[in-house]
Amino acid sequence: MSGRIHQLIDQVIQVRTHGNPSMQHFVRVQLLLQGIDPTKFSPQSPDDPAIEAKLQEMLKSLT
Amino acid sequence: MTLRVAYTYETDITKATAALKTQLKPERAKWVLYFAASRFDPQHTAAAMSKAFDGATVVGCTTAGELTSGKMLKHSIVAMLLDDDELELVAAEVATPIKDGVESVRQALGRLGQQLGKPISKLGNTDYVGLVLTDGMSGAEEEVMATLTQHCSIPFVGGSAGDDLKFQQTFVSLNGTAHSNATLLVILKPKHGFEILKTQSFKAQTQTLVATDVDEPNRTVRAFNGKPAAAEYARVLGIAQEALASAFMQHPLGLMVDEEPFVRSPQQLKGDAVVFYCAVKKGMELRLLDGTDIVADTSQALAETQARGPIRGLINFHCILRTLGLEANRQTDAYGKLFSAIPTIGFSTYGEAYIGHINQTSTMLVLR
Repeated sequence: MSGRIHQLIDQVIQVRTHGNPSMQHFVRVQLLLQGIDPTKFSPQSPDDPAIEAKLQEMLKSLT
Repeated sequence: MTLRVAYTYETDITKATAALKTQLKPERAKWVLYFAASRFDPQHTAAAMSKAFDGATVVGCTTAGELTSGKMLKHSIVAMLLDDDELELVAAEVATPIKDGVESVRQALGRLGQQLGKPISKLGNTDYVGLVLTDGMSGAEEEVMATLTQHCSIPFVGGSAGDDLKFQQTFVSLNGTAHSNATLLVILKPKHGFEILKTQSFKAQTQTLVATDVDEPNRTVRAFNGKPAAAEYARVLGIAQEALASAFMQHPLGLMVDEEPFVRSPQQLKGDAVVFYCAVKKGMELRLLDGTDIVADTSQALAETQARGPIRGLINFHCILRTLGLEANRQTDAYGKLFSAIPTIGFSTYGEAYIGHINQTSTMLVLR
């Protein structure tokens, strides 16, 4: 399977920024500090349960 | 306008708070922030400061050195007072405990929301700013910051309390009570705007270290680039492994965001592993950094900030490692003088806060 991480990153950015572009830098730093570089993942990137769990945790706290 | 700063070297806490009160003239004080050296008993200091500035929200923490306009200090208390002309509102809460999970931070955010009359997540990030002071011996800063950034849209800036390099116990305080194993959260709505300034003195090199084996809870990297961490760090630095620890201060690692490093400072070697002062996550790609001149870089950062508009006051959360570097280079006077014309207080921290927990950095709240 592939693309799950890319999809979750998009969701985190969408929820976290509320569509406000000024928040994008903030969210990018937040992801990088969690060890997740958004630029490294594409829809073709293989799934990774450990990274997905981190992103799910972030999403859970946001919703 | 009432934004005043003061400092005192008085050793008796009653005399010290009296001296601060004389300088700060607290008739209409809304918020008083203080940073006190560890020689002052934290509980007595908190109680005395709250009594001296009765009616104001009084917050503070212990330090590893203090800063005020024009001076770097040791064994002193520095304080800043703001009144209604400067602040539309202030709200503060202490979250404790924090060492074994940060549910207390989520609860404190809820209480702050009740104080403010709306959920903390609804505060606008251009009107409100958060200040965070955390027990510097808690090891909980990453979790605290992750919780704040996940639940809030407003920026938080601050630092970890110190104890003059004794590394035993540090305190934050709110309205007369000092707390260990705690983080202090303050929400401010400045009347004239604010800016957060983050500055560090490093140039990123091309060499990269990817953390491939990490003990995250203990801030320890066992392997970089798939090789024993210490050996690989020394290899990219071009030095013998035996010389690595003595090169840490000048050559920490940076998590690069565009061209700006979020500095991760190594603390010590444990066998082949490298222990850091802040979290390094598995998969993090870090660049080797070379130290540059702290005074020159800070001067430039302040000049750029002043070019965007006048500064009414500044709170500087200044890494203790930067202070040690300035002391080694006999630059403390020069650094203090950078702030001569700006009402400033600050302290030497055990870690700085901005979006996350970072090292060898100054994070500053600039009040416009």
